[in-house]
Amino acid sequence: MFAVLIDQFWSLTIAGIALGFIYVLISLGYTMVYGVLRMINFANSEIFMWGTFGTVVTSRDIFHYTQTSEPATGAKLALVLITSLLMSMLVAGLTAVFVEFVAYRRLRMKGTNRLATLISAIGISIALQEVMRLLTSSRPVGSPRVLEKIILTEVWGANIRLDTVITIIAAAIIFFLLERFIKLSRMGKAIRAVSQNEDAAKLMGVNLNRVITTTFLVGGLATGAAGFFYITVFEYTKFNIGFTMGMAAFTAAVLGGIGNIRGAFFGGLTLGLLEVYASAVLGTQWKAVTVFIVLVLVLLFKPNGLFGEAVQTTRA
Amino acid sequence: MNKKIKGSLAIVTAVAVAFGIASVPTASAATKTFTIAYQGPLSGGEASTGIDEQNAVKYAAKLFMAANKGYTIKVVSVDDQGDPAVASTVAPGIGANKNILGVVGPAYSGATIASLPYYKAGGLVLISPSATRVSLTDPKSPDFGGPVFHRVVGKDDLQGPALAKYATQTTPNAKVFVFDDQSAYAVPLRGFVEGGLKKVAGATLVGGDSVPNTTTDFSPTVAKIKTSGANVVIYTGYYSQAAVFVKQLRDSGSTAVFAGGDGVFNQEFPKLAGAAAEGSRITGVGGLAGISAKVEADFKAKMGVSSGVYSVEAFDGANILLSGIKAGKTTRAKMLAYVNAYSGKSISGNTIKFDKNGDISYGLFAGFTSKSGVLVNTGIVK
Repeated sequence: MFAVLIDQFWSLTIAGIALGFIYVLISLGYTMVYGVLRMINFANSEIFMWGTFGTVVTSRDIFHYTQTSEPATGAKLALVLITSLLMSMLVAGLTAVFVEFVAYRRLRMKGTNRLATLISAIGISIALQEVMRLLTSSRPVGSPRVLEKIILTEVWGANIRLDTVITIIAAAIIFFLLERFIKLSRMGKAIRAVSQNEDAAKLMGVNLNRVITTTFLVGGLATGAAGFFYITVFEYTKFNIGFTMGMAAFTAAVLGGIGNIRGAFFGGLTLGLLEVYASAVLGTQWKAVTVFIVLVLVLLFKPNGLFGEAVQTTRA
Repeated sequence: MNKKIKGSLAIVTAVAVAFGIASVPTASAATKTFTIAYQGPLSGGEASTGIDEQNAVKYAAKLFMAANKGYTIKVVSVDDQGDPAVASTVAPGIGANKNILGVVGPAYSGATIASLPYYKAGGLVLISPSATRVSLTDPKSPDFGGPVFHRVVGKDDLQGPALAKYATQTTPNAKVFVFDDQSAYAVPLRGFVEGGLKKVAGATLVGGDSVPNTTTDFSPTVAKIKTSGANVVIYTGYYSQAAVFVKQLRDSGSTAVFAGGDGVFNQEFPKLAGAAAEGSRITGVGGLAGISAKVEADFKAKMGVSSGVYSVEAFDGANILLSGIKAGKTTRAKMLAYVNAYSGKSISGNTIKFDKNGDISYGLFAGFTSKSGVLVNTGIVK
């Protein structure tokens, strides 16, 4: 039963960490919005899906890579990767702002019930998915291989591949930058202020609409970056991939304590590793079962997740 | 371009349906004119399957008329769009039209179930080229189609062993890892593959997995394959997941043969997987092109298009009805008795004989190997 885990421990661990970092960035999209609005942004999964297409379109249509072309090298490689990353972040960021405008702002201005925005968010996520389904004729889309998956070195029998290394390092850097932005910048302070007490923040002259839009934008940027890493590792997307990834990232956010940025970090990594280990030991059919058993156990003893909901205060 | 052609074909056949049915009553007056029908999706999203099958039926009719002077065979097009709801509106008219001696079709299982009450009432014999649902020939099931329903296509209990055989053909002493995508199609098929492996000399089953069909991270499965030491990996599932998986398998450094069933049989598979798909071994239904190049060339000359999926089955089905007409079985009751007792050769060389539930005893599955981004037909798996 544990033979696979022992034999392939380091390969699994590295794969789990890379997957975990993708979850971390998507769960930031959930956690940021929740922190400020106390609402789940159900459209975040589709924002992620749109983000993956940002990378595919960049490498395929802007740089004209095809399934059969040689992977890029040197400066060209860096150029394509960075453009793809920025494009994915941009697409997802703008989609998130669009979601806020269409599904949240108007209803919030009218002072409607919170549940109304929940439904409108689900509505717009269906719309986003259907638009992409029509654009791609319901077909899966393969991404050309821009980054050759070179095996850099072998550590304890595990292949350390370039794409996973880039994913882990770059995702960690993006996470760190966003965390600093929230903690140190003026806008970040305003976001935290709104999250702690909306009315008090307004009285102190914080522009609520701007804060909320920025929150969606930052969450979208992180989610879009996840889309880029997802394509770099898996080279595949489809109009309906958002649901599975979004569910997993949402679970990660709850596991770590939703509304809590550090919670998203540890929740994402824990989930990535847990999924991979559970699949290896028990069989992939037990992956979701294991994840949710662990989630239920954690919530049983720590109802607010591993790090609690109140990181807005602890972080300050 | 392909789509446009298919679209216009759908319109043409839709017109043909209207005229075909309208012209039937007058046909009975002629002494040597006989009518059979083809039923399947001729318009809508599944139209390409139906049009391919109907072409094979028309091709059989053409050959029959050329070989038997004095016979005129009319093929009535019945468009059910592959949809049970549509089928239940067109089937009553076909069931009541006594000129129609037999039907090749329906193409899809769901449409078959919806049509069956009318055909049973009319005693109209059916020979489906592609309805594979097991319950259709299961006497215990409410979907059971006997005595009118027959099929000339193999169920998945026949595909499994063919896939096991084809996957391991190039690997002596194969160590096989089999995994499924947890779907209603893939799980039983995996069971039949594992059963088939026991009959392949030298092959051993070294491991397995069951992976949700939404998975994109296959690293745990790849780790299991490496630990198991497998040199053949068989996936029962669909092509898009297969493409994602085979890339990850190759990226891990594994050179094991990758194989899959008809769910993976799609030209999109090598396109999505790129170089990683090279050499993959897939089973599917091969069509007339898989039987012989000569037949295929003649088909193309007479019909103007290449033969498609299930063309062998549709061709065989039509030939059974046509041989009945030649034997003078010109009422529905006689035709039904004729088909039930039929024994003859398929163009594939197999003997067609229906058991009491309407099933044949063999399955025709062709092997395809991925070469330079295309799945190439390597002939029927024997």
